[in-house]
Amino acid sequence: MKAFQQNLQKLEAADTQVLGVSMDSPFANKAFADQIGVTFPLLSDWGGETTHKYGIYMDKFQAARRVNFLIGKDGKILEEQLDSAAIDPSKIVDACQRQTLKR
Amino acid sequence: MKKVGISAAFAVLLVLGSMAPRVARQLRADQPTKPEMKLKVLDMAPDFKMQYFDGHDLKDVTLSEYRGKKNVVLAFYIFAFTGG
Repeated sequence: MKAFQQNLQKLEAADTQVLGVSMDSPFANKAFADQIGVTFPLLSDWGGETTHKYGIYMDKFQAARRVNFLIGKDGKILEEQLDSAAIDPSKIVDACQRQTLKR
Repeated sequence: MKKVGISAAFAVLLVLGSMAPRVARQLRADQPTKPEMKLKVLDMAPDFKMQYFDGHDLKDVTLSEYRGKKNVVLAFYIFAFTGG
């Protein structure tokens, strides 16, 4: 999440809203956001409905898999990054900047 | 005597060699396979409604509110207070 925070200005300049998601409570997420200095919303998927809908619930951890989805303005998925590849946001930043250039 | 030793060593090598493919298959089977993604690139992202706490209130966020306005990065993480 910190890596997204570091790239937040670039992402916002490319018309992109960053949303973190976990199955923690909203209050745990707020405390986490404050601790690591994240200013974008960390959404609480309490109960895991969204995590299941996106097909990334892991029984083993009873939690979401580490995945980034980049969703375009038309609602289509443009990029997916999984597991350890999801930690470096530069591919997403590039993709967002390409989207901006296209218009 | 020396000859016997060599043939014995050769036999052992042969046996080991014949086991290798089975061992390799077993090792591969033990590796956790990465689960396939249900949603693929260019699929429609399912709408959602989730909440966050802004320090005062719980706020609702939906995916559909960004339609036609902004790209959205949804960064799923495993637990709060973990790295990544």
